[in-house]
Formats: sequence, C-alpha cells, structure tokens
Amino acid sequence: MASVTVRNVVKKYGDLQVVHGLNLGIEDGSFVVLLGPSGCGKSTLLRMIAGLEPITAGEVLIAERVVNAVHPKDRNIAMVFQNYALYAHMTVYDNMAFALDLRGTPKDEIKRKVDWAASVLNLGDYLERYPRQLSGGQRQRVAMGRAIVRNPEVFLFDEPLSNLDAKLRVQMRTEIKELHQRLKTTTVYVTHDQIEAMTMADVIVIMRAGVIEQKGAPLDVYDNPANLFVAEFIGSPAMNLIEGVAEAGNGGPAMRTKGGALLPLSSRFKVAPGRKLTLGIRPEHLTIGETGDIATEVSVVEPTGPEIHIYCDFEGKDVCAITRERGSWRHGAKVGLTPDPERMHLFDPESGRALEKA
Amino acid sequence: MTALAADAHASGGKLWRMPRWLSAEHPFPWLAPITAMLLVFGVYPLLYAIWLSLHQRNRVKRVDEFVWFKNWVQAFNDQRVWDSLAVTFTYTGIALVIQLSLGLAIAMLLDQDRRGYGLLRALMTLPLVVPPAVTGMMFLLMEDGSFGWLSQNLYMLGIISPQNPILASHSTALMGVMLADIWQWTPFMVLIMMAGLRSLPKEPYEAAAIDGANAFQVFRRLTLPMMSKVIAVAVLIRGVDLFRIFDYVYVMTSGGPGTATETISAYAGRIFVTGNFPYAATLSLLTMIIVIVVANVFVRVFRVRF
Repeated sequence: MASVTVRNVVKKYGDLQVVHGLNLGIEDGSFVVLLGPSGCGKSTLLRMIAGLEPITAGEVLIAERVVNAVHPKDRNIAMVFQNYALYAHMTVYDNMAFALDLRGTPKDEIKRKVDWAASVLNLGDYLERYPRQLSGGQRQRVAMGRAIVRNPEVFLFDEPLSNLDAKLRVQMRTEIKELHQRLKTTTVYVTHDQIEAMTMADVIVIMRAGVIEQKGAPLDVYDNPANLFVAEFIGSPAMNLIEGVAEAGNGGPAMRTKGGALLPLSSRFKVAPGRKLTLGIRPEHLTIGETGDIATEVSVVEPTGPEIHIYCDFEGKDVCAITRERGSWRHGAKVGLTPDPERMHLFDPESGRALEKA
Repeated sequence: MTALAADAHASGGKLWRMPRWLSAEHPFPWLAPITAMLLVFGVYPLLYAIWLSLHQRNRVKRVDEFVWFKNWVQAFNDQRVWDSLAVTFTYTGIALVIQLSLGLAIAMLLDQDRRGYGLLRALMTLPLVVPPAVTGMMFLLMEDGSFGWLSQNLYMLGIISPQNPILASHSTALMGVMLADIWQWTPFMVLIMMAGLRSLPKEPYEAAAIDGANAFQVFRRLTLPMMSKVIAVAVLIRGVDLFRIFDYVYVMTSGGPGTATETISAYAGRIFVTGNFPYAATLSLLTMIIVIVVANVFVRVFRVRF
C-alpha cells in the first residue's frame, strides 16, 4: 500500500495542453474517484500515474518515490481497463497468472494466489475458460482478478463499469467497494458517472478541462459545491440556478430575480444590496404547494417511484422540484415553489465561485 | 384483334418476355461471366491435363493412346521426380521461414507513426512491381561469377570463393535462386504482417506493460499468439506459391548445375519443352495434388479460418 502524489503535473499533446499543473494528494489506503465530463483529462491523469502516458512537466510520486521515469512494470501498480484488455488467447487462469509468471513466481504459489483471487471474485468455475466464453461482468471480474493477484500498492481503474449493463453496474459497484474494504489498497478510480463516484469514493476529485474544480468527501462536495460547475455537475436532477440582484428585504437579505420575484435569503449570507448573484437550490430543497415565493406552473411531471420530479417554467428556465407526496400534479397546474433559505447556495455569476456563509 | 396482339398486350406491350433467370434479381446473370471464364481457363485445362495424363502419344500412328496410369507409374519410378520434389520442399521450407521471419521483423520495425515511416512503407513494396523474370535476370547478373556485384562482394568477404561461383556450385545455387525470391516476396509478407499488427488491440499491450512484461516477453506471449491466424494465412498463401516455383529457376539456372536447382515445376517444364505433354501434365497434376494435400493438412493442424 502506498500514497500517490501528483505535483504540478502538465500534459501536452504537441501544442495542445490538456492537463494544467495538477496537484493532488492521495492518502494511503483511500479510494479516490476522478470525476468529470469527457475530455476533462481524468483518464490522462490516471494513465500518467500508471506510466502509460509520458508526463510533460511536474512529478508523480508513488510511495514517496518520484516515478516519472519509472517503467509501468516497476511502479507496483495494477490497472483495470474500460474494455478489460484481457489476453484473448489465454484462459482465465493464465490471464490472472500472467504477471506472476513473468516474475518467475513458483508455480504452486501462483496457483495459490490465483485460486484465492478466483474465490474472492467468484470465478472458480471459469478458470479454464477463454475470455470470449465469458459474459461482460465475468470478464470485468477477470480483469480485477488479474489486478489483485499481484498485491499491488495502487489500483488504477479506468471507467471499468462503462461497458456493463445498468443492473450489473450496480452489482459490480458494490463488489469493487467491498473488495477495497477488504484489501485496503490505495485506489484511483476514473469515471464520468456521478452515481458511481458518490457511492464508492472516500474522496471525489472533480475535474474540468484539465484542472481540479473541487476535491472532498462525496456528501461534502454535494452539500457545499465550490463553484457553479460542480454545483451543476453533481446531482441529478441538477441544481436549479436562478439569477438575480441582492436587495435589503424586510426581515433580512433577499434576491430580486429578473422577472421581479423576491426570494428571501438566509441571514447568514452577507451580500451588499445591488450585487449580482446566482442562486443555487437543489430540487429536494424546494417545497411545492399551492402558493410560494416562486409562482409558476407545472410543465412536466416525472414520477420515478420513490419520488416525483416536477419541472416548472420560471422566467424562461426549467426549475425542478422533488416531492415524495403523491399529489395529482399535472401539466399546466398553478403551483408555488418555496426554497429553503438554509439550503441555498449563492454564487458569483462572474467568477462562478460559491459565496461563503457566515 | 389477333391472338398475337392479345398476347403482346397481356405481357405489358412486349412481344417477348424475358425469362426470370435472366433478370437482374436472379443470380445467374451475375455469375455467368466469371463461371464462363473459370470453365474455359480453369476447368477445361484441368480436365484436359487429367485426360492427357492417362494417354501417351504413339509416334508411329500419331494418335494419343489410352494407357491407364502408365505415366503415373513412370513418375513414381522416376528418381528425378523424387530429387526435384526434395529440392522443391527444401526451397519452399527455407524461403518460407526466411520470408516469414524477415517479413514479421520488418513489419514490426515499420509499424510506427514516426516521420518518414509512411515513405519507407511505400518504398518497401517496390520489389513487388518488378516482373519475376526481370528479378531473375537482375540477380543472375548480380550473382555472375566474373562481374556480378553480389559475387564480388561475397568474394571480398570471403564467404564464397571465385572458384565456386554462386549459381555454378552445387551447394550454393539453390540459395542463389532463393535470394531473388526473398528479395521479391518478403515485401508481400511485410504487407500482410503489417496489416495484422495494425489490427491488434492496443490495450493488452498496456496491460502487459503494467503486468511487467519486457519487449521479448511481449513479443513471444502476446504478439505471436495474437498474430497466429495472420501468420497461418500468410504461410499458406506463400507456401503454395513457393511450391510452384518456376520463373526464377527457369531464368537463372534452368535447373542446373546438373539438377541441383531443378524443382518439380522446372522438371515438368523441361519435359513440356521436349514435347512429352502427357508426362508433363502428369507431373503438374502431381504438384497440384501435393499442394492440396499439404495445404489441407496445414489448415487442419493450425485450425486456419478464412
């Protein structure tokens, strides 16, 4: 087991810079998820940690050792690829034994380790099969088996569940998390799926366009997004964003929207009247009723089972509210939405930064 | 209205309706041209060769007489047939191994996206556009005992002595002929191998890099097994081609010195030139049968799938 440190890492492809001086500390034994939209540089960062991609500038340290010039095989890491990257001409057993065999591990020790990995991953019955004879989930488990037999210091996962169907993805998610709790190996996991990130991570690192936007525990990131990008990216349905100008209201600060609605703000926000603001409120923190601070009408109703997502039209934008009440909401109904002032987020529309609460 | 006019009316105004098997929906019109070509240039000569191999020319009566398997028995008792088969197998085996190894090695060297490699790949295919007879002449001149460029250099290096010119010595003549073949056909192997290498997935190589494989282990345990199907097909195509070797031998040595470079096709050709068409046809059929049998065994053993 080992910590991983990324120091001022830059990646350029020719003149195109895709990673801009990243700094990231990954603690020994933690499960860190790199999350971001396609092309944000998360896979590139992972591949630089793995040594599959040369680093243009900066340093990557594994177990406090600079590994920039160290070959992947000497970094004591294991990687699970998106499309598994199994050796198609080898059986499941040989796939898992390959790395050990290359190091000249004695045959009986290889067998012991592969059998152990197979039992951990429920692959015991498939050891003599070839990858083409396995289902997607089984292949994914073989790829993981190949990684764990080596007892590496760091696990690297590159979108390992993207090619699986929805049900299997949920199942494998749990299995990977269980595996981590059992082995306690430092893990870096890349995904664009925020549910995967939220459910599995000890620490989420949200990336965009080659920079880290926010790093923190999943719920911390969800509850306190550092900027507009993170606020919109994390959460489904996404956080509602309403633009307006601060005003000194009757009982405390308030915000006047473009359309003239006055929304009371938490008194913990210290905002000068006249300041432009973007208010963020999660759908579950909007109360829907007959009347409210925001008078609007229902445009779309989406029942998901446990809850109902109600989309309303407000000043030309969709605002979503979530309720667990089984009301008879229908298209065109006049409703009122009331945001919970204590759960509001305020952002500076220029910089996108979140404003501090007192 | 006459009966004819009524018929014409019923068939959409045409006097003659095209049969269905001539219409574009039917496979027949599409297959007919190539079938005709195959019949004329493939099936007929084959049947004629079989017919010939069962006959002998009676020079007195000037007719072809049916002699059952007399030609075949003669072939099996002809030491020169066995010798030429040995030469053919030696030639095929050695040339195949060299062309395959060189082809794979060159393909792996050229399989890079660095500057200038596209040009190198294009240049690599140049030997393929030279007619084989011209290649034969080229190497004949280069290997000439007195003024050949290649011979001169080999003399200087001390690999052969001027007393035993390449193509005039029993031990080196076959290798001399093979050089032309290797020069001309290795690029073909390179092309096939390069196509195979390009189609290999990238990820297993990355996984192997992390698993700790060095370059040699990657080659032996990933590249070779993943390329096995491609290699098998290449061996099959080149093997069949090499077995029929005639042009280089004919141009460079005519089978000599003695019969040192006489392959089965060259021997059949020699018989053909003397006018003994039935025996020449028998030897050609023998070549064909051996090729079919060996190729089928190869396909079975290595489980080649096309």
